[in-house]
Amino acid sequence: MSDATLKSSSASFPSLVTLLRAEPLLWLIAAIIVTGAVTSEYYLTGQNIENLLRSVSVFGLLALGMTVVMLTGRIDLSVAATMIFSIVVGVKVMVLLGDGLGLRWLVKGNTYAGPSLPFLAIAIVTGCAVGAVNGIGIAYFRIAPFIMTLVSLTALRGFNYVLTDGHPYYLRSPVFAFIGDQVVLGIPFSTLVFLAVLVALILFVNGTVAGSRFYAIGGSERAALYAGIRTERFVVLAYMISGFCAALAGILFTARLKSVDAPLASGYELTAIAIAVIGGTALSGGVGSPWRTLLGSLVFASGLNLLAIWGIGTWYQNLIVGTVLIAAVALSRIGRPRASS
Amino acid sequence: MPAVSRRQLLKSAAGLACAAALPGLASTPASAAPVHDLLNALIKKYSDAAKAAMANADIKALFEKDGFRDYLDVYPVGDLAGGFVWKPGMGASFTGPYSKLQIKAPFTDYLPMNEGPVLDKAKTYRIGFVFHGFNHPWLISLADTAAWEAARHPNVQLEVIDAEFDDNKMGQVIDTWIAKKFDGIVLWPSREAPMGPPVDRAIAAGIPVVSLDRRTSSEVISSEVLGNFYANGLQQGLYLQHAAAGAGAMICNRKDLGSTADSIRTGSYLEVIGNSPDYKVLANYHTNSQRTLAFKATADALQAFKDIAIIFNTGGEEAMGALDAVREAGRLNSAPGGKKIIILANDDAREVLKEIRAGNMDMVAPYTPLIGDIGIRAVIAHIGHKAGLLPEAPPKLILTPNLPMITREKMTIEGIETLTPDEWPYAYGPEVAS
Repeated sequence: MSDATLKSSSASFPSLVTLLRAEPLLWLIAAIIVTGAVTSEYYLTGQNIENLLRSVSVFGLLALGMTVVMLTGRIDLSVAATMIFSIVVGVKVMVLLGDGLGLRWLVKGNTYAGPSLPFLAIAIVTGCAVGAVNGIGIAYFRIAPFIMTLVSLTALRGFNYVLTDGHPYYLRSPVFAFIGDQVVLGIPFSTLVFLAVLVALILFVNGTVAGSRFYAIGGSERAALYAGIRTERFVVLAYMISGFCAALAGILFTARLKSVDAPLASGYELTAIAIAVIGGTALSGGVGSPWRTLLGSLVFASGLNLLAIWGIGTWYQNLIVGTVLIAAVALSRIGRPRASS
Repeated sequence: MPAVSRRQLLKSAAGLACAAALPGLASTPASAAPVHDLLNALIKKYSDAAKAAMANADIKALFEKDGFRDYLDVYPVGDLAGGFVWKPGMGASFTGPYSKLQIKAPFTDYLPMNEGPVLDKAKTYRIGFVFHGFNHPWLISLADTAAWEAARHPNVQLEVIDAEFDDNKMGQVIDTWIAKKFDGIVLWPSREAPMGPPVDRAIAAGIPVVSLDRRTSSEVISSEVLGNFYANGLQQGLYLQHAAAGAGAMICNRKDLGSTADSIRTGSYLEVIGNSPDYKVLANYHTNSQRTLAFKATADALQAFKDIAIIFNTGGEEAMGALDAVREAGRLNSAPGGKKIIILANDDAREVLKEIRAGNMDMVAPYTPLIGDIGIRAVIAHIGHKAGLLPEAPPKLILTPNLPMITREKMTIEGIETLTPDEWPYAYGPEVAS
């Protein structure tokens, strides 16, 4: 394991002063917030903070899953397709179950009217299952991660259309309204879900031996193998975590829109990768942490939110995101030899 | 305003329906009634017939599988707001602020508003206009007309955002405008389902919202400016009945099923042809307004089927993609008996009209994007009504006039007098070399 990895591993819950010294992203976030507060009377309003936090939740969850996979030196291009697929499967399976029980759980207008909790459980299991398939293909059948997850992305997008016949499904139960819209102590419920997953992942990845295996595999898979680590199992686990995060992101995402539709969330896998990279996760593996992915999410969301508040068009927003991403990758490349030495 | 069913709205056209349903009307000259009313009457005639029976098993299966009845029954058909009567030649000419193309917008006299400051002259009104696709000729024309109307009023500040076909991004844009306490919002939603909740949130925040062209799933939206989708599909069906005499094998290039454009256009087309037993649907593709996908789908179909006689296209982009594939395969005149493949189109882009002129496409049902101005006027009127400055709000349903189909030669089909490309100054998109 490299020094950089050890640094990342020890960065579970550092003090505020250490954080401010060690994490330039915190200064960037502070700069964005101060700029927003100075230039717009609307930036620090409760409504806008809620918008920002909701954005952090969905993209942050996708990026957390991506971070775990990237720590192993791999990539998961299927996360956005998985987030929609898991919800679609949830609806379809529940409707079939309802048919079996003689109950009509898809009412006029394609509105899902069945119980919500089993539906959510099926969605989560589906996400994990997709991750497991990806992981098994990559770890045991030696399919290149890029190819395996690109194929999954394409196939799942196709499945989404096949399963829905191109129709949207409406999700209008009180449970979805709660997940999508409820604010608890000024914080959107979706953000609380994200924070819970973040804390769990920090504890697992940075605080357990099993979690440290991801860094070991990403740092040097051959060395990890020689050290007796069953790398295949951890690779499968990493993809299952990514699938879990994607399904959870899908629940938060569709609960906000009160519907699921096959074409939704196209291209979000690239946003997830971008956030992880902005947070310092190395594409080559072994470096990164969920905590820094949170910072990456905050930089990404607060920056885009500021541009939106300024009324900057999406073309320019994309340009700025691209520039920031290139800068982040370049900085990480510059920083790596220094960290290794 | 309570929800108005299509059936209720159709009552106003019932008298005309009786006239249109009379046998032999197809051979009569064009009706003296406005084309809007005449088309509404034909919509009722064919909708009623399709509800009673659909003799073609192929068409019936497709119609039922895709659930068209659910969409068609709730799509409003009826009178124009304020008793407006549109006539060819009406409208205003200007250069599009975004496309820089010369535009003649047909409906600038609909819900008219004088040039100059609006409502409280001392106040600046901030209006958000969010849509998808600055790179799409139809959509940039929509934005052109919205920006043109806003620019006519010095105390209106318009923020235009392209959500890049990401429904979630469009929702976030609306949420940002709610946080910024905008005075009004106009949107072009790509799909109905996901855009309902953001619109509901804006309405709950006291911001009037007007949708253009397509619908959202919101039931509390201030106004919907709806196009003539029903008349589009109907006229494609009417033309086909006229040209193919009730028989032929077809392929369909369609948009996403969840879109209003596909649900209503394709549904009404099938209503018209559903009682002719000799049509056969060979293949049915969702090419999602993308020319390249329509090209590929059509090229594949041309390889798979030798007897294609009809290509139905839900939109103009699909039609252009299909025609390109037919040309590349050298199959324009490969329908049974050496006849030309009938290509049916929607959306009156200049390049589509060029193909009509050349005889490569057979008809196009115009669906003008030049309606952004109506949305801006409507939302200003809502803002004024909410502030107590105007006595009345615009109606919830603002239907745009039904427009007659365009064919190479002038003809009369079921009382509809078609227009030739040269009689249509409202085409959108870049000029194409002839």
